[in-house]
Amino acid sequence: MKHQLTVAVKNQSVAVERFLRVARHRGFRLMQLQLEGQDELFLVKMTVDSEKPIYLLTSQLNKLVDVQSVDLHTLQQQAI
Amino acid sequence: MSKTMTGAQMVIDILVKQGISDVFGYPGGAIMPIYDALYGAPLKHYLTRHEQGAGFAAVGYARSTGKLGVCFATSGPGATNLVTALADAMMDSVPLLAITGQVPTAAIGSDAFQEVDVLGMSLSCTKHSFMVERAEDLAEVLQQAMHLAVSGRPGPVLVDIPKDIQQALVPFSPWSADTQAQEAPILNDLALANELLKKASKPVAYVGGGVHSADAQPALMAFLEQTQMPAVSTLKALGSVLPEYEYDLGMLGMHGTKAANLAVQECDLLVCIGARFDDRVTGNLAKFAAKAKVIHLDIDAAEIGKRKPAAASLVADLNVSLPLLQGVLAPADWRAHISHMQREYAWRYDYPGEKVFAPYLLNKLSHDVPQDTVVCCDVGQHQMWVAQHMKFSHPSNHLSSGGAGTMGFGLPAAIGAKIARPDNMVITVSGDGSIMMNIQELATIRRNNLAVKIVILDNQRLGMVRQWQELFFSARYSETNLSDNPDFVQLAAVFGIPGQTITHASEVDDAIEKLVNSSGPYILHACIDDKENVWPLVPPGAANDEMLTENTQ
Repeated sequence: MKHQLTVAVKNQSVAVERFLRVARHRGFRLMQLQLEGQDELFLVKMTVDSEKPIYLLTSQLNKLVDVQSVDLHTLQQQAI
Repeated sequence: MSKTMTGAQMVIDILVKQGISDVFGYPGGAIMPIYDALYGAPLKHYLTRHEQGAGFAAVGYARSTGKLGVCFATSGPGATNLVTALADAMMDSVPLLAITGQVPTAAIGSDAFQEVDVLGMSLSCTKHSFMVERAEDLAEVLQQAMHLAVSGRPGPVLVDIPKDIQQALVPFSPWSADTQAQEAPILNDLALANELLKKASKPVAYVGGGVHSADAQPALMAFLEQTQMPAVSTLKALGSVLPEYEYDLGMLGMHGTKAANLAVQECDLLVCIGARFDDRVTGNLAKFAAKAKVIHLDIDAAEIGKRKPAAASLVADLNVSLPLLQGVLAPADWRAHISHMQREYAWRYDYPGEKVFAPYLLNKLSHDVPQDTVVCCDVGQHQMWVAQHMKFSHPSNHLSSGGAGTMGFGLPAAIGAKIARPDNMVITVSGDGSIMMNIQELATIRRNNLAVKIVILDNQRLGMVRQWQELFFSARYSETNLSDNPDFVQLAAVFGIPGQTITHASEVDDAIEKLVNSSGPYILHACIDDKENVWPLVPPGAANDEMLTENTQ
């Protein structure tokens, strides 16, 4: 199932590397990625695809120190 | 007015001011300014003989005390050698600060001598990592790193510091954790959890390593005393449930006790306290505690529902969530059934052979050492026998590489534990395979005259792999024969460590007495039967009530 997310991360390239690594490792295939620098943050819009429920990704992304917020767009957020 | 010093001096200054008294490491080119600042500083550095040894010593230091462990390594191979210890600390949620030297800023990206992209390498094996890019950021980064390592769910944090930043004059800027938003507890399910507790007729407490991380043994025991609920422990939790607790069933999972596994399979409510439904615990997940509703208590929201759905979850420090549970006394017939299983499936030590029986040796050792002895394991059959046959009164007394399962953990972890707790006896129990993985650390024991006791259970095999080859790979013993091992007592003697070899069951009691009464480091080399297996065993893909035992073979 495809999901679109907007992730606000610290404006450092390693912060983007870090959350992309988490997405891959947790089993979410990257379909689209758009990066926009805004002051101290990057706004990353991305589409991922996986058979796994999306909360398994959002809960891991929310743990990352550099991630300020994770917003899920296209589908209703599945309850934990 | 901010005081100015070099970056290297700042590193040492901040560590000292934050109360760090001991660090482990190995110097090299890109971290030389920090080692220069260390010279004469009020911070004791322990030189290990491999950076992995430094990493595991810091892990042992942290796990045996609950304090932050700190290790240093240089760039390139120094940092890559730390990676296994970082991964181990990540899997077992150990608070660890790793400081690595890096090539100078101007040389980064040029494939300079001893240059590795350590920041990139750290992404999968740390809770967080930094590379200090500007001298003025150093103080803040270090303080933040130390805070991150110990806060929330603890873990390893790495700070990579280019050599020019270590040499630059840097200002000190105070940083306060108060400026960081603290995670608020999520306790919405509390009423539901208490309702589930009230209705349960066969409740089981499934206790994990989170109890140690949260220093929540008193809160756990208060809950258990109130409910008299049977308790099963993960490998990392062992010691959290006090051994005198009437319904302590020991470890569950692949090599868990039969009573623990059967109780979980039968239960109708599983109260998961700081555990994460690891595959070695659950066996076939679909069949794990299939009749049970789950109440999941954890500080990490990402663990809720990761492997098994929870009917109710409390995301908070266990010292906050556990006291909120309104425990009711577990039904008498369930407790009677548990007591019956405890008697029915109790361990037996009346081994008929003349050879040394490892479970007996370990059980005897457990009885004969002082209560606050720290036991550090390596990985394999001996590790499971320790988990099954030794008793611990606190999780900081049982250091075992759980999630990562790292051979070579035991000896350096014992070094770290002995330095952290010099007044307690520290024993590493290892196998003839594992001990060779970090054998160079005997030199660290010698250098510091550390009274670390070493027990090697020697079956001249990579025993756990051999056991699986016997059971699941048609007895094709590929690369598991170690009958060309060195003479371990002679090997230890070269490092000034006395000891003895035993081969017969009749020698065990006296040998343990000698080990316990030895004043300095000591090695007990116990030769055991190479065909001995660890029982019970839940085979791969099976449910936890489908255990193989010696008698089913």
